[in-house]
Amino acid sequence: MAQLDIVAGVARDEDDDAIDRTPVRTYWQLARQRFLRHQLAVAGLVTLVALVVFSILVPAITGDAWKTAELSKVNAPPEIGFNEEGEFVLAPLGYSDIGQNVFARLAKATGTSLSIGFAAVVIIVVIGVTVGSFAGYFGGWIDNVLMRVVDIVLSLPSLFIILALVSFWGGGGIWVIIIAIGITSWTLAARLVRAEFLRLREMDFVHAARALGTGSRRIMSRHMLPPAMAPVIVAATLGIADSVVVEAALSFLGFGISQPEASLGNMLTEAQTYFFRNPWLVAWPGLVLILIVVSASFLGDGLRDALDPRQK
Amino acid sequence: MAPAPAAGAIGPLLHPDRSIPVAGYILRRLIQAIPILFGVAVISFALVYLSPGDPIDRFRTPTIRPEQLQGLIRQYGLDRPLPEQFWSWLTSYVQIWHEDAWGYSFLDGQPVLGKIAERLPATLLLGGTALIVTVVVAIPLGILAAVRQYSWADRIISTMATIGYAIPSFLLGLYLLYFGGVVLGWFPLFGLESFGSQGDPLDIAWHLVLPVTALAVQQIAGWSRYVRASMLEVLHQDFVRTAHAKGLPGRRVTYRHALRNALIPVITLVGLTIPTLLAGAAITEAIFSYPGVGQMGVQAVTNRDYPVVLAFVMIGGIGVVLGNLFADVAYAVADPRIKLD
Repeated sequence: MAQLDIVAGVARDEDDDAIDRTPVRTYWQLARQRFLRHQLAVAGLVTLVALVVFSILVPAITGDAWKTAELSKVNAPPEIGFNEEGEFVLAPLGYSDIGQNVFARLAKATGTSLSIGFAAVVIIVVIGVTVGSFAGYFGGWIDNVLMRVVDIVLSLPSLFIILALVSFWGGGGIWVIIIAIGITSWTLAARLVRAEFLRLREMDFVHAARALGTGSRRIMSRHMLPPAMAPVIVAATLGIADSVVVEAALSFLGFGISQPEASLGNMLTEAQTYFFRNPWLVAWPGLVLILIVVSASFLGDGLRDALDPRQK
Repeated sequence: MAPAPAAGAIGPLLHPDRSIPVAGYILRRLIQAIPILFGVAVISFALVYLSPGDPIDRFRTPTIRPEQLQGLIRQYGLDRPLPEQFWSWLTSYVQIWHEDAWGYSFLDGQPVLGKIAERLPATLLLGGTALIVTVVVAIPLGILAAVRQYSWADRIISTMATIGYAIPSFLLGLYLLYFGGVVLGWFPLFGLESFGSQGDPLDIAWHLVLPVTALAVQQIAGWSRYVRASMLEVLHQDFVRTAHAKGLPGRRVTYRHALRNALIPVITLVGLTIPTLLAGAAITEAIFSYPGVGQMGVQAVTNRDYPVVLAFVMIGGIGVVLGNLFADVAYAVADPRIKLD
């Protein structure tokens, strides 16, 4: 159906000929409006986008500088400009104890951490939505079994399980970290989707769809899933931050990503060794980590207000 | 009015009529916890036994004879089918009155139960102190922020809470170690006590300052927000307005009528915080080389000390189950409106 220019409140006031011509806005228009009103959330979104751009742009300019360890550059001061060979050098944060460009490495680490965060959240959402929608839609024994599984996963010391998974299967592989975070952290998403499905299941439009002979699969995916996604999107935003922190903690403890690969966690570990000589090495990755967490939490708050105004 | 029957220490909290349902409820919940703990056991067993390599990998040196290896495989029961191995492991696991019920550490051959018993007090000291600090600091802050909503105090507290919540505890631990231990040199860098201090409480407290702060800051941030929200909700309820309307002094309304109700949901937080502190302890203990269960768990993962890894997962699971149970029971006990089911 073509978009109609719907006009609300066409009923005329007897005394006044004024017609309220405020156009009826769609859910997404309203959501965008509510979101833009939330200044901190907008700031969070801008910061996250800026960090993504930073993590793509800087390695594109500096090439392999993030892993190249040059003996002549050990603890060298910051430099920006062209060197003797006419190459452009971008190292505003100087060089580390093994002669790596700290700025380039920070950008690469931000990229690694964010990709792990995003990828882990994809797994979290896929498992969470599948489990939650089946439990909420079918109810009965399916719900019972799935929710007991949720209880069990919730009872696991998840950080420790991730540590063990990454250590036993790992070898520092990035996918092991992503999967380990994903399979231990989907319970919140599952519970949220289940609650939404329980509520939606009894709604008229779902009964109508069923009465028209729509199959379960289509009702779940086409009719119930879209309205159930709002809380999941909020949880996913916060999940990115949590996953980034977990990855940083893993790499910090020496179980995650290791040299020459860069992650915020292993940059912290390396910097810890050089506390005295160069305390700033500890500050930068920590700062990026905090920026990611704060931005994601503001963004999550804003998205909650925008997408799911009933919740608060 | 019927004379109040003598109730025990929790008399004012627990109405005598409810003591029987509460006992039954606890029993029911403990029974419900069994399948969950069974699931935790299955997963932790799978985690270890489906891992690449096996427990006798460390014996596979070039000099070992094949028959010795066979003997080890039989000794560890690795030649039996997996379900059978699981069952014998599980049945041994519940017999915690036996010293060797949780097996022996691969690292030093000590019984796992003994190792845990040795290190658990240090972890409980760290986690317990962090919990107490959290309660003592966060509740007054949350109340202040709620009572003076939108004031400067509220804004400062809320901003600090947002920042505090955003700093991952391992990062905070690292910075505290740097500033408190290295730059200022005020606090010790590692351990539970100085060498040869023989358990001097002051010395231990000295060592606890940094790790407890690292653990507690995020909790304080979360708790103070929660207390503020809970207090605000109560302050806007009708009975508070009624109390004001009948002329009670403002302080009395706030601190007697409102506060008591606002703190009920906070009780739940205690139960839910315990597992978080246990998990956080693993990393904090690793950073501060604090001799607790958490540090032992992280070391066990590094060394593939499977029996200790299993034990840590099981302790974590039991901690969560008991924490949840405590939260629900305490909530029901404190708030007679809650129905036990």
